[in-house]
Amino acid sequence: MIRLFIWFVLLSILLISPFLGAVDLHLKDIFHSSSLSAQIFYELRLPRVLFTFFAGTILALSGLLFQTLFRNPLMTPYTLGISSGATLGAGIAIKLGMGSLLFGIGAVSLFGFFGAMLTIFLLLYLSQFLRGSQQSSLLLLGIALSLFYTSALMLIFYLGNTVQNDMLIRFTMGSLSIIGWNDPLLLGLIAALLTLAIYAYRFELQLLGISEESAKLKGVESKKVTLWLLSFASLAIGVLVSISGPIGFIGLIVPHIVTKIYPLTIEKRIIKTALFGGFFLVLCDTITRALPTQSELPIGIITALIGGPFFIYLIISRRQ
Amino acid sequence: MIELQKLSCFYEDQTILENISQKFPKHLSILGANGSGKSTLAKALCHLTPYRGIILLDNKRVERYSAKALAKKIAYIPTKLEFYDEFLTVGEFVLLGRFAHKESFFDYTQKDKEIAQNYIKLLGLQHFSRQRLNSLSSGETALVLIAQALTQESQIIIFDEPTANLDPKNAKIVAKHIKDLKQTHQTVLITHDIHLAHFINNPVLFLKNKTAHYFEEYFFTDENLSKLYDVPIKSLAVQYD
Repeated sequence: MIRLFIWFVLLSILLISPFLGAVDLHLKDIFHSSSLSAQIFYELRLPRVLFTFFAGTILALSGLLFQTLFRNPLMTPYTLGISSGATLGAGIAIKLGMGSLLFGIGAVSLFGFFGAMLTIFLLLYLSQFLRGSQQSSLLLLGIALSLFYTSALMLIFYLGNTVQNDMLIRFTMGSLSIIGWNDPLLLGLIAALLTLAIYAYRFELQLLGISEESAKLKGVESKKVTLWLLSFASLAIGVLVSISGPIGFIGLIVPHIVTKIYPLTIEKRIIKTALFGGFFLVLCDTITRALPTQSELPIGIITALIGGPFFIYLIISRRQ
Repeated sequence: MIELQKLSCFYEDQTILENISQKFPKHLSILGANGSGKSTLAKALCHLTPYRGIILLDNKRVERYSAKALAKKIAYIPTKLEFYDEFLTVGEFVLLGRFAHKESFFDYTQKDKEIAQNYIKLLGLQHFSRQRLNSLSSGETALVLIAQALTQESQIIIFDEPTANLDPKNAKIVAKHIKDLKQTHQTVLITHDIHLAHFINNPVLFLKNKTAHYFEEYFFTDENLSKLYDVPIKSLAVQYD
């Protein structure tokens, strides 16, 4: 009953969301295709809500995936520095003034994607040298990489001119202000593929969620599955970050809330986490647009403000 | 059938076992002091740890098997089950034994579920089926592990110190199951417990000083045990005074 109510509220927010913002729209306006309201609705609000939903799906699912594969609730693409890697990559492209396309793909996207992939492979390579309390060491490696990337980004700021820096600062805050349908369609495709890939490997993940040894003994090619799923999730994160900038902590918060609502094994939480992640980010984004501030707040700031304390709570509650 | 040819195993940089060649009989108990390499050997058999030399499983090298094919040959039961997924139920856990038999990407079939249910019943666990794994005692967990290994329907079952964490009553229950399973499976029993090994009564491979000593019979004599374990042993019990 309570579960149904939660889903109902989230769905309602999704439906109301496109009508809220700097200009409040009315239902009757959007059917007059020539009106300004209809233009705002179809070219700005609707694509944005869909983009946000898919972004939430990708962030939540990759969080769930990382937590399961590393068997640690603190592991997410964000805490492991993969988002920062993508941010740095995209930042370099912006600094170099590479607004144009390379092979039909935006240079910023391409650099963001390489930043994410480089980071995950670096982490996997370095993790070979870890022994003993591997998991927490890996987390520390991720944090070390994040710090390094942040400093590198600072260097780019230092070298950049005012116009570039303004772009960069806005980018690193995370923003969902997109225009038109290209980005939502691309992200929708990636979100669908990621969901499908993780769902296809649901039983492998269930075994890997016990232990790596257990998975191998039952017949999972654990190295192959882990590498392929991590790479795919990092690719998705790379593309997302290069469009929206880093949006932190969704991958940490959403899987945790979903396990509170549905205390079930991972196999039964994949689709629920995907949907909940989408709804949750739309909720956060609706808040940023509905708040009576001068200009709308960057989404990354909101999620970090909620996520930071939540991260601390998770660390403390794990120790007990 | 398992055969070792010039097998050497390592832990970190240390050599644990050196140059062991041994054909396993249908049933075998592996004994030895702490740190003599019993568990390392078991893990090498399941291709969980690197080694030098050759391990043949039905005349084919272990590393040539795919993970699924190996799981159909060998089921390994650990001493202690460690798991991250705190929401997993007993029924779901036992069903995972069918993974190697399942089509990739598809759900477990009705037949898989029936097989799992049957073994859950055989081990007397039907009342726990919907309970979470982390709510069970060590004795119950030991039975769940056996049910999962049986669900795997492999030729060989390896028991890695199955009674190490159990009280005498549960140890007896598990020991009886191991003895029964000798009718239907090839078994490898790794243990410290001389009484258990005596009860199961397999030929023994004794690991000591990096090498292995094989005893087809006459292993459980006071003289032999005292010599191998470097401590006076009488009627299968250590003499403390």
